[in-house]
Amino acid sequence: MENLDLQLYVNGKSHASLAAIDALNAICTERLQGDYRLEVIDIQLDPDRAEAAGILAVPTLIRSWPLPVTRIIGALTVKSRVLAGLGLSNL
Amino acid sequence: MSIKKLVTGITAFDHISAGGLPYGRTTLISGSSGCGKTLFGAQFLAMGIQLFDQAGVFVTFEEQVEDIRINLRTLNWDIDRWEKEGKWVFVDASQKDDETLTVGDYDLSGFQVRLECAVTKSNAKRVVLDSIGTVFTQFQAMNAIRHELFKVTRALGRLDTTSIITTERTEEYGKVSRLGVEEFLTDNVIILRNVLSDEKRRRTIEILKFRGSAHEKGENLFTIHPEQAIVIIPLSAMDLKYRSSGVRATSGIAKLDEMCGGGFYRDSIILVSGSIGAGKTLLVANFIDGIREKQERCLLLAFEESREQLFRNATGWGQDFAKLEEDGYLKVVCLYPEVSSLEDHYLNIQEIVKEFKPDRIALDSLSALSRTSTDKAFREFIIALTSFLKHQEITGMFTVTTTLLSGGTSDTEGNISPLTDTIILLRYVEMSGEMQRSLSVLKMRGSKHDSSIRGFTIDDKGINIGEPFIGVSGILTGIPIRS
Repeated sequence: MENLDLQLYVNGKSHASLAAIDALNAICTERLQGDYRLEVIDIQLDPDRAEAAGILAVPTLIRSWPLPVTRIIGALTVKSRVLAGLGLSNL
Repeated sequence: MSIKKLVTGITAFDHISAGGLPYGRTTLISGSSGCGKTLFGAQFLAMGIQLFDQAGVFVTFEEQVEDIRINLRTLNWDIDRWEKEGKWVFVDASQKDDETLTVGDYDLSGFQVRLECAVTKSNAKRVVLDSIGTVFTQFQAMNAIRHELFKVTRALGRLDTTSIITTERTEEYGKVSRLGVEEFLTDNVIILRNVLSDEKRRRTIEILKFRGSAHEKGENLFTIHPEQAIVIIPLSAMDLKYRSSGVRATSGIAKLDEMCGGGFYRDSIILVSGSIGAGKTLLVANFIDGIREKQERCLLLAFEESREQLFRNATGWGQDFAKLEEDGYLKVVCLYPEVSSLEDHYLNIQEIVKEFKPDRIALDSLSALSRTSTDKAFREFIIALTSFLKHQEITGMFTVTTTLLSGGTSDTEGNISPLTDTIILLRYVEMSGEMQRSLSVLKMRGSKHDSSIRGFTIDDKGINIGEPFIGVSGILTGIPIRS
Protein backbone atom coordinates (compact mmCIF):
# COMPACT_ATOMS: atom_id res chain seq x y z
CA MET A 1 0.00 0.00 0.00
CA GLU A 2 1.28 3.45 -0.91
CA ASN A 3 1.59 6.19 1.65
CA LEU A 4 -1.55 8.27 1.80
CA ASP A 5 -1.28 12.06 2.04
CA LEU A 6 -4.39 13.45 3.70
CA GLN A 7 -5.43 16.98 4.67
CA LEU A 8 -8.59 17.56 6.63
CA TYR A 9 -9.92 21.13 6.69
CA VAL A 10 -12.11 21.82 9.71
CA ASN A 11 -13.80 24.81 11.29
CA GLY A 12 -12.85 25.02 14.97
CA LYS A 13 -14.91 22.73 17.09
CA SER A 14 -18.05 22.64 14.96
CA HIS A 15 -20.11 19.50 15.23
CA ALA A 16 -19.43 18.28 11.72
CA SER A 17 -15.71 19.02 12.07
CA LEU A 18 -15.35 17.00 15.27
CA ALA A 19 -17.34 14.15 13.76
CA ALA A 20 -15.08 14.15 10.70
CA ILE A 21 -11.90 14.10 12.82
CA ASP A 22 -13.21 11.16 14.86
CA ALA A 23 -14.36 9.19 11.84
CA LEU A 24 -11.07 9.73 10.00
CA ASN A 25 -8.96 8.81 13.02
CA ALA A 26 -10.91 5.58 13.40
CA ILE A 27 -10.39 4.64 9.76
CA CYS A 28 -6.67 5.43 9.89
CA THR A 29 -6.02 3.37 13.03
CA GLU A 30 -8.09 0.48 11.79
CA ARG A 31 -6.91 0.33 8.18
CA LEU A 32 -3.63 2.11 7.66
CA GLN A 33 -1.30 1.00 10.46
CA GLY A 34 0.70 4.20 10.41
CA ASP A 35 1.13 4.15 6.65
CA TYR A 36 -0.17 7.66 6.10
CA ARG A 37 0.31 11.35 6.78
CA LEU A 38 -2.65 13.30 8.10
CA GLU A 39 -2.79 17.03 8.66
CA VAL A 40 -5.77 18.70 10.28
CA ILE A 41 -6.09 22.36 9.31
CA ASP A 42 -8.36 24.73 11.18
CA ILE A 43 -9.55 27.34 8.67
CA GLN A 44 -10.17 29.86 11.43
CA LEU A 45 -6.50 29.76 12.42
CA ASP A 46 -5.10 29.31 8.95
CA PRO A 47 -7.39 30.98 6.39
CA ASP A 48 -4.53 31.28 3.88
CA ARG A 49 -4.29 27.52 3.63
CA ALA A 50 -8.03 27.37 2.97
CA GLU A 51 -7.60 30.03 0.29
CA ALA A 52 -4.73 28.18 -1.37
CA ALA A 53 -6.67 24.92 -1.43
CA GLY A 54 -9.87 26.62 -2.63
CA ILE A 55 -11.96 25.29 0.27
CA LEU A 56 -15.64 26.24 0.24
CA ALA A 57 -17.39 23.50 2.18
CA VAL A 58 -16.23 22.39 5.61
CA PRO A 59 -15.25 19.76 6.57
CA THR A 60 -13.31 18.84 3.43
CA LEU A 61 -10.91 15.91 3.29
CA ILE A 62 -8.35 16.03 0.49
CA ARG A 63 -6.37 13.00 -0.53
CA SER A 64 -3.43 14.60 -2.31
CA TRP A 65 -1.55 11.31 -2.77
CA PRO A 66 -1.90 8.96 -4.54
CA LEU A 67 -3.21 10.76 -7.59
CA PRO A 68 -5.76 11.66 -8.74
CA VAL A 69 -6.46 14.22 -6.04
CA THR A 70 -9.77 13.40 -4.43
CA ARG A 71 -12.01 15.53 -2.21
CA ILE A 72 -14.55 14.24 0.27
CA ILE A 73 -16.94 16.84 1.64
CA GLY A 74 -18.95 16.33 4.82
CA ALA A 75 -18.75 14.83 8.31
CA LEU A 76 -17.56 11.47 6.92
CA THR A 77 -20.46 9.70 8.60
CA VAL A 78 -20.73 6.70 6.26
CA LYS A 79 -17.57 4.65 6.65
CA SER A 80 -17.96 2.48 3.56
CA ARG A 81 -18.30 5.51 1.33
CA VAL A 82 -15.27 7.22 2.87
CA LEU A 83 -13.22 4.06 2.31
CA ALA A 84 -14.38 3.94 -1.29
CA GLY A 85 -13.51 7.60 -1.74
CA LEU A 86 -10.00 7.04 -0.37
CA GLY A 87 -9.58 3.98 -2.54
CA LEU A 88 -9.34 1.64 0.48
CA SER A 89 -12.50 -0.44 0.04
CA ASN A 90 -10.73 -3.54 -1.37
CA LEU A 91 -8.19 -3.83 1.42
CA MET B 1 -36.74 58.97 4.52
CA SER B 2 -34.58 57.02 2.16
CA ILE B 3 -31.84 54.63 3.22
CA LYS B 4 -28.19 55.49 2.74
CA LYS B 5 -26.70 54.80 -0.69
CA LEU B 6 -23.22 54.11 -1.99
CA VAL B 7 -22.38 56.10 -5.12
CA THR B 8 -21.19 53.50 -7.64
CA GLY B 9 -19.53 55.75 -10.21
CA ILE B 10 -21.13 53.83 -13.08
CA THR B 11 -22.37 56.37 -15.64
CA ALA B 12 -26.02 57.21 -15.13
CA PHE B 13 -26.61 54.29 -12.78
CA ASP B 14 -26.36 56.56 -9.78
CA HIS B 15 -28.98 58.69 -11.45
CA ILE B 16 -31.58 55.99 -12.10
CA SER B 17 -30.99 54.45 -8.69
CA ALA B 18 -31.36 57.82 -6.96
CA GLY B 19 -27.88 57.77 -5.49
CA GLY B 20 -26.37 54.32 -6.00
CA LEU B 21 -26.65 50.92 -4.34
CA PRO B 22 -28.14 50.54 -0.85
CA TYR B 23 -25.21 51.06 1.51
CA GLY B 24 -24.03 48.10 3.54
CA ARG B 25 -26.47 45.79 1.80
CA THR B 26 -26.46 43.18 -0.89
CA THR B 27 -28.07 43.71 -4.28
CA LEU B 28 -28.97 40.83 -6.55
CA ILE B 29 -28.27 41.32 -10.25
CA SER B 30 -30.07 38.83 -12.40
CA GLY B 31 -29.84 38.31 -16.14
CA SER B 32 -29.57 35.77 -18.92
CA SER B 33 -26.17 34.71 -20.18
CA GLY B 34 -24.30 37.47 -21.98
CA CYS B 35 -26.38 40.25 -20.46
CA GLY B 36 -23.37 41.95 -18.88
CA LYS B 37 -23.80 41.07 -15.21
CA THR B 38 -20.20 40.04 -14.64
CA LEU B 39 -19.12 43.26 -16.31
CA PHE B 40 -21.47 45.30 -14.14
CA GLY B 41 -19.96 43.71 -11.04
CA ALA B 42 -16.41 44.28 -12.23
CA GLN B 43 -17.20 47.86 -13.16
CA PHE B 44 -18.66 48.43 -9.71
CA LEU B 45 -15.30 47.44 -8.22
CA ALA B 46 -13.19 49.26 -10.82
CA MET B 47 -15.09 52.53 -10.36
CA GLY B 48 -14.72 52.17 -6.60
CA ILE B 49 -10.96 51.98 -6.99
CA GLN B 50 -10.64 54.61 -9.73
CA LEU B 51 -12.97 57.25 -8.34
CA PHE B 52 -13.18 56.71 -4.62
CA ASP B 53 -10.08 54.69 -3.71
CA GLN B 54 -12.27 51.96 -2.21
CA ALA B 55 -10.83 48.46 -2.32
CA GLY B 56 -12.94 45.61 -3.68
CA VAL B 57 -13.18 41.82 -3.49
CA PHE B 58 -14.26 39.83 -6.52
CA VAL B 59 -15.47 36.31 -5.80
CA THR B 60 -15.78 34.07 -8.81
CA PHE B 61 -17.81 30.88 -8.59
CA GLU B 62 -17.79 30.15 -12.26
CA GLU B 63 -15.15 31.72 -14.48
CA GLN B 64 -11.46 31.15 -13.94
CA VAL B 65 -9.63 34.09 -12.39
CA GLU B 66 -7.16 34.33 -15.28
CA ASP B 67 -9.99 34.53 -17.83
CA ILE B 68 -11.57 37.39 -15.91
CA ARG B 69 -8.24 39.23 -15.78
CA ILE B 70 -7.87 38.92 -19.54
CA ASN B 71 -11.38 40.24 -20.15
CA LEU B 72 -10.96 43.19 -17.81
CA ARG B 73 -7.60 44.23 -19.23
CA THR B 74 -9.34 45.00 -22.54
CA LEU B 75 -11.22 47.82 -20.77
CA ASN B 76 -8.06 49.66 -19.83
CA TRP B 77 -8.50 48.82 -16.19
CA ASP B 78 -5.10 48.27 -14.65
CA ILE B 79 -6.17 45.15 -12.82
CA ASP B 80 -2.61 43.87 -12.36
CA ARG B 81 -1.50 47.02 -10.58
CA TRP B 82 -4.64 47.07 -8.45
CA GLU B 83 -4.03 43.48 -7.42
CA LYS B 84 -0.43 44.27 -6.56
CA GLU B 85 -1.54 47.24 -4.45
CA GLY B 86 -4.12 45.08 -2.72
CA LYS B 87 -7.02 47.18 -3.94
CA TRP B 88 -8.54 44.39 -5.97
CA VAL B 89 -8.63 40.91 -4.44
CA PHE B 90 -9.86 37.79 -6.17
CA VAL B 91 -11.39 34.93 -4.20
CA ASP B 92 -11.39 31.89 -6.42
CA ALA B 93 -14.45 29.85 -5.50
CA SER B 94 -14.73 28.14 -8.86
CA GLN B 95 -15.27 24.42 -8.98
CA LYS B 96 -12.10 22.34 -8.79
CA ASP B 97 -11.32 19.62 -11.30
CA ASP B 98 -10.68 17.14 -8.49
CA GLU B 99 -13.00 14.23 -8.09
CA THR B 100 -15.42 15.15 -5.32
CA LEU B 101 -17.92 13.18 -3.30
CA THR B 102 -20.13 14.12 -0.41
CA VAL B 103 -20.45 12.05 2.77
CA GLY B 104 -22.45 13.64 5.58
CA ASP B 105 -23.25 17.16 6.71
CA TYR B 106 -21.23 20.22 5.82
CA ASP B 107 -21.54 23.99 5.70
CA LEU B 108 -19.90 26.74 3.65
CA SER B 109 -17.86 28.16 6.50
CA GLY B 110 -14.71 27.60 4.45
CA PHE B 111 -15.98 30.06 1.91
CA GLN B 112 -17.19 32.48 4.55
CA VAL B 113 -13.86 32.51 6.35
CA ARG B 114 -11.95 33.12 3.12
CA LEU B 115 -14.29 35.93 2.10
CA GLU B 116 -14.11 37.63 5.48
CA CYS B 117 -10.35 37.26 5.47
CA ALA B 118 -10.09 38.89 2.02
CA VAL B 119 -12.39 41.75 2.99
CA THR B 120 -10.61 42.44 6.27
CA LYS B 121 -7.12 42.27 4.79
CA SER B 122 -7.88 44.69 1.95
CA ASN B 123 -10.30 46.80 3.96
CA ALA B 124 -12.74 46.36 1.08
CA LYS B 125 -15.84 48.51 0.77
CA ARG B 126 -17.24 46.68 -2.24
CA VAL B 127 -17.77 42.97 -2.86
CA VAL B 128 -19.00 41.09 -5.91
CA LEU B 129 -20.12 37.44 -5.90
CA ASP B 130 -20.32 36.12 -9.46
CA SER B 131 -22.41 34.09 -9.97
CA ILE B 132 -24.33 32.42 -7.22
CA GLY B 133 -26.32 30.00 -9.36
CA THR B 134 -23.24 27.81 -9.72
CA VAL B 135 -23.06 27.26 -5.97
CA PHE B 136 -26.45 25.61 -6.05
CA THR B 137 -25.40 23.24 -8.79
CA GLN B 138 -22.08 22.50 -7.13
CA PHE B 139 -23.68 21.61 -3.79
CA GLN B 140 -26.93 19.74 -3.82
CA ALA B 141 -28.51 20.66 -0.50
CA MET B 142 -30.50 23.65 -1.75
CA ASN B 143 -32.06 24.75 1.53
CA ALA B 144 -28.85 24.39 3.48
CA ILE B 145 -26.96 26.38 0.85
CA ARG B 146 -29.57 29.09 0.88
CA HIS B 147 -29.15 29.38 4.61
CA GLU B 148 -25.38 29.48 4.22
CA LEU B 149 -25.56 32.25 1.62
CA PHE B 150 -27.89 34.20 3.83
CA LYS B 151 -25.22 34.03 6.51
CA VAL B 152 -22.69 35.28 3.98
CA THR B 153 -24.79 38.32 3.07
CA ARG B 154 -25.27 39.10 6.76
CA ALA B 155 -21.53 38.87 7.31
CA LEU B 156 -20.92 41.25 4.40
CA GLY B 157 -23.24 43.79 5.98
CA ARG B 158 -21.47 43.39 9.31
CA LEU B 159 -18.15 44.05 7.58
CA ASP B 160 -19.56 47.37 6.32
CA THR B 161 -19.37 46.41 2.65
CA THR B 162 -21.84 47.09 -0.13
CA SER B 163 -22.13 44.03 -2.30
CA ILE B 164 -23.50 42.63 -5.53
CA ILE B 165 -24.53 39.04 -6.10
CA THR B 166 -25.15 38.01 -9.68
CA THR B 167 -27.36 35.17 -10.81
CA GLU B 168 -28.63 33.69 -14.06
CA ARG B 169 -32.12 33.63 -15.42
CA THR B 170 -33.29 31.63 -18.39
CA GLU B 171 -35.95 33.94 -19.80
CA GLU B 172 -35.80 37.70 -20.35
CA TYR B 173 -39.30 38.14 -18.96
CA GLY B 174 -40.25 35.65 -16.28
CA LYS B 175 -38.86 34.40 -13.01
CA VAL B 176 -36.25 36.66 -11.46
CA SER B 177 -33.71 33.87 -11.23
CA ARG B 178 -33.29 30.38 -12.59
CA LEU B 179 -33.75 28.53 -9.33
CA GLY B 180 -36.22 30.97 -7.84
CA VAL B 181 -34.45 31.09 -4.49
CA GLU B 182 -31.72 33.64 -4.95
CA GLU B 183 -34.01 36.66 -4.76
CA PHE B 184 -34.88 35.80 -1.17
CA LEU B 185 -31.30 36.54 -0.20
CA THR B 186 -31.75 40.25 -0.56
CA ASP B 187 -34.25 43.07 -0.64
CA ASN B 188 -32.67 44.67 -3.67
CA VAL B 189 -33.00 43.28 -7.16
CA ILE B 190 -31.73 44.61 -10.49
CA ILE B 191 -32.44 42.91 -13.80
CA LEU B 192 -30.26 43.18 -16.89
CA ARG B 193 -31.81 42.22 -20.20
CA ASN B 194 -30.49 41.52 -23.65
CA VAL B 195 -33.64 41.28 -25.72
CA LEU B 196 -33.97 40.51 -29.38
CA SER B 197 -36.87 42.53 -30.73
CA ASP B 198 -37.57 43.26 -34.38
CA GLU B 199 -34.23 41.66 -35.25
CA LYS B 200 -32.34 44.12 -33.09
CA ARG B 201 -30.56 43.66 -29.77
CA ARG B 202 -31.60 45.92 -26.97
CA ARG B 203 -29.81 45.94 -23.67
CA THR B 204 -31.75 47.26 -20.73
CA ILE B 205 -31.36 47.58 -16.99
CA GLU B 206 -34.29 47.60 -14.60
CA ILE B 207 -34.27 48.21 -10.87
CA LEU B 208 -36.97 45.81 -9.77
CA LYS B 209 -36.90 46.68 -6.10
CA PHE B 210 -34.83 48.64 -3.62
CA ARG B 211 -36.49 48.20 -0.30
CA GLY B 212 -37.08 51.46 1.51
CA SER B 213 -35.65 53.62 -1.23
CA ALA B 214 -36.69 55.57 -4.28
CA HIS B 215 -35.46 54.64 -7.75
CA GLU B 216 -36.51 54.89 -11.39
CA LYS B 217 -39.10 52.35 -12.50
CA GLY B 218 -38.96 50.44 -15.74
CA GLU B 219 -36.25 49.55 -18.21
CA ASN B 220 -33.41 51.87 -19.14
CA LEU B 221 -31.32 51.32 -22.22
CA PHE B 222 -27.63 50.71 -21.88
CA THR B 223 -24.78 49.90 -24.14
CA ILE B 224 -21.43 48.25 -23.60
CA HIS B 225 -18.80 50.74 -24.63
CA PRO B 226 -15.35 49.39 -25.50
CA GLU B 227 -13.66 51.78 -23.07
CA GLN B 228 -16.30 52.93 -20.62
CA ALA B 229 -17.88 49.47 -20.17
CA ILE B 230 -21.56 49.77 -19.25
CA VAL B 231 -23.09 53.12 -20.10
CA ILE B 232 -26.72 53.58 -19.19
CA ILE B 233 -28.79 56.00 -21.19
CA PRO B 234 -31.18 57.52 -18.71
CA LEU B 235 -34.22 58.52 -20.61
CA SER B 236 -37.25 58.62 -18.40
CA ALA B 237 -34.86 59.71 -15.69
CA MET B 238 -33.86 62.86 -17.48
CA ASP B 239 -35.21 65.98 -15.95
CA LEU B 240 -36.77 68.71 -18.01
CA LYS B 241 -35.08 71.43 -16.03
CA TYR B 242 -33.10 73.10 -18.76
CA ARG B 243 -33.23 76.82 -19.04
CA SER B 244 -35.26 78.39 -21.79
CA SER B 245 -33.46 80.98 -23.76
CA GLY B 246 -35.02 84.04 -25.38
CA VAL B 247 -32.03 84.46 -27.66
CA ARG B 248 -32.80 83.93 -31.33
CA ALA B 249 -30.66 82.14 -33.89
CA THR B 250 -31.06 82.87 -37.56
CA SER B 251 -32.22 80.18 -39.95
CA GLY B 252 -29.95 81.68 -42.58
CA ILE B 253 -33.02 82.77 -44.56
CA ALA B 254 -34.29 86.26 -43.76
CA LYS B 255 -37.84 85.52 -44.84
CA LEU B 256 -38.02 82.33 -42.75
CA ASP B 257 -36.73 84.21 -39.70
CA GLU B 258 -39.54 86.66 -40.27
CA MET B 259 -42.08 83.84 -40.47
CA CYS B 260 -40.77 82.48 -37.16
CA GLY B 261 -41.16 85.82 -35.42
CA GLY B 262 -37.47 86.69 -35.56
CA GLY B 263 -35.64 83.40 -35.94
CA PHE B 264 -35.39 80.12 -34.06
CA TYR B 265 -34.79 80.09 -30.33
CA ARG B 266 -31.19 79.27 -29.53
CA ASP B 267 -31.89 76.17 -27.44
CA SER B 268 -34.69 74.81 -29.58
CA ILE B 269 -35.05 71.77 -31.78
CA ILE B 270 -36.37 72.35 -35.29
CA LEU B 271 -37.90 69.53 -37.27
CA VAL B 272 -37.96 69.89 -41.05
CA SER B 273 -40.34 67.50 -42.74
CA GLY B 274 -40.64 66.93 -46.45
CA SER B 275 -40.53 64.35 -49.21
CA ILE B 276 -37.44 63.58 -51.24
CA GLY B 277 -36.22 66.66 -53.08
CA ALA B 278 -38.58 69.01 -51.26
CA GLY B 279 -35.69 71.18 -50.09
CA LYS B 280 -34.80 69.78 -46.67
CA THR B 281 -31.09 69.66 -47.31
CA LEU B 282 -31.28 73.19 -48.67
CA LEU B 283 -32.82 74.38 -45.43
CA VAL B 284 -30.04 72.59 -43.58
CA ALA B 285 -27.45 74.30 -45.77
CA ASN B 286 -28.94 77.69 -44.96
CA PHE B 287 -29.06 76.80 -41.30
CA ILE B 288 -25.34 76.03 -41.48
CA ASP B 289 -24.71 79.22 -43.38
CA GLY B 290 -26.46 81.09 -40.55
CA ILE B 291 -23.40 80.61 -38.34
CA ARG B 292 -21.61 83.39 -40.24
CA GLU B 293 -23.73 86.04 -38.59
CA LYS B 294 -22.33 85.49 -35.10
CA GLN B 295 -19.18 83.48 -35.89
CA GLU B 296 -20.75 80.32 -34.49
CA ARG B 297 -19.79 76.70 -35.03
CA CYS B 298 -21.96 74.04 -36.58
CA LEU B 299 -21.80 70.26 -36.57
CA LEU B 300 -23.41 68.45 -39.49
CA LEU B 301 -24.27 64.80 -38.94
CA ALA B 302 -25.07 63.31 -42.31
CA PHE B 303 -26.61 59.86 -42.42
CA GLU B 304 -27.73 59.90 -46.04
CA GLU B 305 -25.27 61.72 -48.24
CA SER B 306 -21.52 61.60 -48.57
CA ARG B 307 -19.30 64.57 -47.84
CA GLU B 308 -18.66 65.09 -51.58
CA GLN B 309 -22.37 65.16 -52.41
CA LEU B 310 -23.08 67.58 -49.60
CA PHE B 311 -20.30 69.95 -50.59
CA ARG B 312 -21.30 69.83 -54.25
CA ASN B 313 -24.93 70.60 -53.44
CA ALA B 314 -23.91 73.51 -51.24
CA THR B 315 -21.73 74.90 -54.00
CA GLY B 316 -24.77 74.75 -56.28
CA TRP B 317 -26.53 77.11 -53.88
CA GLY B 318 -23.57 79.43 -53.64
CA GLN B 319 -22.18 78.19 -50.32
CA ASP B 320 -18.64 77.08 -49.62
CA PHE B 321 -18.71 74.31 -46.98
CA ALA B 322 -15.12 73.30 -47.62
CA LYS B 323 -13.92 76.79 -46.66
CA LEU B 324 -16.13 76.83 -43.55
CA GLU B 325 -14.72 73.51 -42.45
CA GLU B 326 -11.18 74.61 -43.17
CA ASP B 327 -11.68 77.67 -41.00
CA GLY B 328 -12.97 75.50 -38.16
CA TYR B 329 -16.55 76.77 -38.18
CA LEU B 330 -18.03 73.61 -39.58
CA LYS B 331 -17.50 69.94 -38.88
CA VAL B 332 -19.10 67.38 -41.16
CA VAL B 333 -19.47 63.81 -39.94
CA CYS B 334 -20.85 61.34 -42.46
CA LEU B 335 -21.92 57.97 -41.14
CA TYR B 336 -23.97 55.04 -42.29
CA PRO B 337 -26.82 54.66 -39.82
CA GLU B 338 -26.28 50.90 -39.84
CA VAL B 339 -22.70 51.01 -38.53
CA SER B 340 -23.84 50.96 -34.94
CA SER B 341 -26.85 50.84 -32.68
CA LEU B 342 -28.71 54.00 -31.71
CA GLU B 343 -27.26 53.90 -28.22
CA ASP B 344 -23.78 53.89 -29.69
CA HIS B 345 -24.69 56.66 -32.13
CA TYR B 346 -25.90 58.68 -29.17
CA LEU B 347 -22.65 58.21 -27.26
CA ASN B 348 -20.66 58.97 -30.38
CA ILE B 349 -22.59 62.21 -30.98
CA GLN B 350 -22.10 63.19 -27.35
CA GLU B 351 -18.36 62.70 -27.67
CA ILE B 352 -18.12 64.73 -30.88
CA VAL B 353 -20.18 67.54 -29.34
CA LYS B 354 -18.05 67.66 -26.22
CA GLU B 355 -14.95 67.88 -28.36
CA PHE B 356 -16.10 70.30 -31.07
CA LYS B 357 -18.44 72.41 -28.89
CA PRO B 358 -20.79 73.51 -31.67
CA ASP B 359 -23.50 76.15 -31.31
CA ARG B 360 -25.64 74.37 -33.86
CA ILE B 361 -26.22 70.84 -34.95
CA ALA B 362 -27.88 69.70 -38.14
CA LEU B 363 -28.88 66.05 -38.48
CA ASP B 364 -29.83 64.81 -41.92
CA SER B 365 -31.89 62.70 -41.68
CA LEU B 366 -33.63 61.20 -38.70
CA SER B 367 -35.56 58.91 -41.02
CA ALA B 368 -32.35 57.21 -42.05
CA LEU B 369 -31.45 56.68 -38.40
CA SER B 370 -34.87 55.37 -37.48
CA ARG B 371 -34.39 52.45 -39.84
CA THR B 372 -31.86 50.91 -37.49
CA SER B 373 -34.04 50.46 -34.44
CA THR B 374 -37.42 49.80 -32.94
CA ASP B 375 -39.91 52.64 -32.52
CA LYS B 376 -39.52 52.68 -28.76
CA ALA B 377 -35.74 52.76 -28.86
CA PHE B 378 -35.83 55.48 -31.49
CA ARG B 379 -38.13 57.63 -29.43
CA GLU B 380 -35.87 57.20 -26.43
CA PHE B 381 -32.86 58.12 -28.54
CA ILE B 382 -34.58 61.36 -29.61
CA ILE B 383 -35.52 62.20 -26.04
CA ALA B 384 -31.95 61.65 -24.90
CA LEU B 385 -30.47 63.60 -27.80
CA THR B 386 -32.82 66.60 -27.57
CA SER B 387 -32.38 66.77 -23.83
CA PHE B 388 -28.61 66.64 -24.20
CA LEU B 389 -28.61 69.39 -26.85
CA LYS B 390 -30.83 71.63 -24.75
CA HIS B 391 -28.54 71.23 -21.77
CA GLN B 392 -25.67 72.36 -23.96
CA GLU B 393 -27.79 75.20 -25.33
CA ILE B 394 -27.32 74.01 -28.88
CA THR B 395 -29.79 74.76 -31.67
CA GLY B 396 -30.67 71.56 -33.46
CA MET B 397 -32.19 71.02 -36.87
CA PHE B 398 -33.39 67.51 -37.70
CA THR B 399 -34.86 66.46 -41.01
CA VAL B 400 -37.42 63.72 -41.63
CA THR B 401 -38.50 62.30 -44.96
CA THR B 402 -42.15 61.75 -45.81
CA THR B 403 -43.02 58.87 -48.04
CA LEU B 404 -45.56 60.66 -50.23
CA LEU B 405 -44.53 63.39 -52.63
CA SER B 406 -47.37 65.67 -51.68
CA GLY B 407 -49.31 65.68 -48.46
CA GLY B 408 -48.83 62.97 -45.86
CA THR B 409 -46.66 62.65 -42.81
CA SER B 410 -43.93 60.23 -41.87
CA ASP B 411 -43.95 57.68 -39.06
CA THR B 412 -40.82 59.24 -37.70
CA GLU B 413 -42.49 62.58 -37.50
CA GLY B 414 -45.56 61.37 -35.62
CA ASN B 415 -43.28 59.78 -33.10
CA ILE B 416 -41.08 62.71 -32.32
CA SER B 417 -42.96 65.89 -33.18
CA PRO B 418 -44.09 66.42 -29.56
CA LEU B 419 -40.43 66.59 -28.60
CA THR B 420 -39.52 69.34 -30.99
CA ASP B 421 -40.07 73.06 -30.57
CA THR B 422 -40.49 74.12 -34.16
CA ILE B 423 -41.84 72.16 -37.10
CA ILE B 424 -41.39 73.27 -40.69
CA LEU B 425 -43.31 71.47 -43.40
CA LEU B 426 -42.03 71.36 -46.96
CA ARG B 427 -44.63 69.99 -49.37
CA TYR B 428 -45.18 69.70 -53.08
CA VAL B 429 -48.45 71.12 -54.30
CA GLU B 430 -49.90 70.23 -57.66
CA MET B 431 -51.36 73.41 -59.02
CA SER B 432 -52.17 74.76 -62.46
CA GLY B 433 -50.57 71.71 -64.03
CA GLU B 434 -47.21 71.98 -62.28
CA MET B 435 -45.55 70.91 -59.05
CA GLN B 436 -45.06 73.90 -56.84
CA ARG B 437 -43.16 73.89 -53.57
CA SER B 438 -44.71 75.05 -50.35
CA LEU B 439 -43.31 75.90 -46.94
CA SER B 440 -45.14 76.47 -43.70
CA VAL B 441 -44.22 76.88 -40.06
CA LEU B 442 -46.55 74.44 -38.34
CA LYS B 443 -45.46 75.05 -34.80
CA MET B 444 -43.20 77.50 -33.05
CA ARG B 445 -43.15 76.94 -29.34
CA GLY B 446 -43.15 80.08 -27.25
CA SER B 447 -43.42 82.58 -30.07
CA LYS B 448 -45.82 84.08 -32.56
CA HIS B 449 -45.30 82.86 -36.06
CA ASP B 450 -46.67 83.26 -39.56
CA SER B 451 -49.17 80.46 -40.07
CA SER B 452 -49.60 80.92 -43.80
CA ILE B 453 -48.52 78.38 -46.36
CA ARG B 454 -46.10 79.99 -48.76
CA GLY B 455 -44.77 78.99 -52.10
CA PHE B 456 -41.02 78.94 -52.69
CA THR B 457 -38.57 78.43 -55.51
CA ILE B 458 -34.97 77.27 -55.60
CA ASP B 459 -32.35 78.77 -57.87
CA ASP B 460 -28.56 79.02 -57.97
CA LYS B 461 -28.57 81.51 -55.11
CA GLY B 462 -30.66 79.29 -52.92
CA ILE B 463 -34.18 79.58 -51.66
CA ASN B 464 -36.74 82.31 -52.44
CA ILE B 465 -39.77 82.27 -50.21
CA GLY B 466 -42.73 83.86 -51.92
CA GLU B 467 -46.27 84.88 -51.05
CA PRO B 468 -48.89 82.84 -49.23
CA PHE B 469 -51.18 80.73 -51.36
CA ILE B 470 -54.33 82.76 -51.18
CA GLY B 471 -57.67 81.30 -51.99
CA VAL B 472 -56.39 77.75 -52.02
CA SER B 473 -57.10 75.11 -49.40
CA GLY B 474 -56.20 71.48 -48.94
CA ILE B 475 -52.50 72.00 -49.73
CA LEU B 476 -51.25 69.77 -46.96
CA THR B 477 -53.51 66.93 -47.99
CA GLY B 478 -51.93 67.11 -51.42
CA ILE B 479 -55.29 67.86 -53.07
CA PRO B 480 -55.60 71.66 -53.28
CA ILE B 481 -58.97 73.18 -53.99
CA ARG B 482 -59.45 76.71 -55.24
CA SER B 483 -62.14 78.34 -53.21
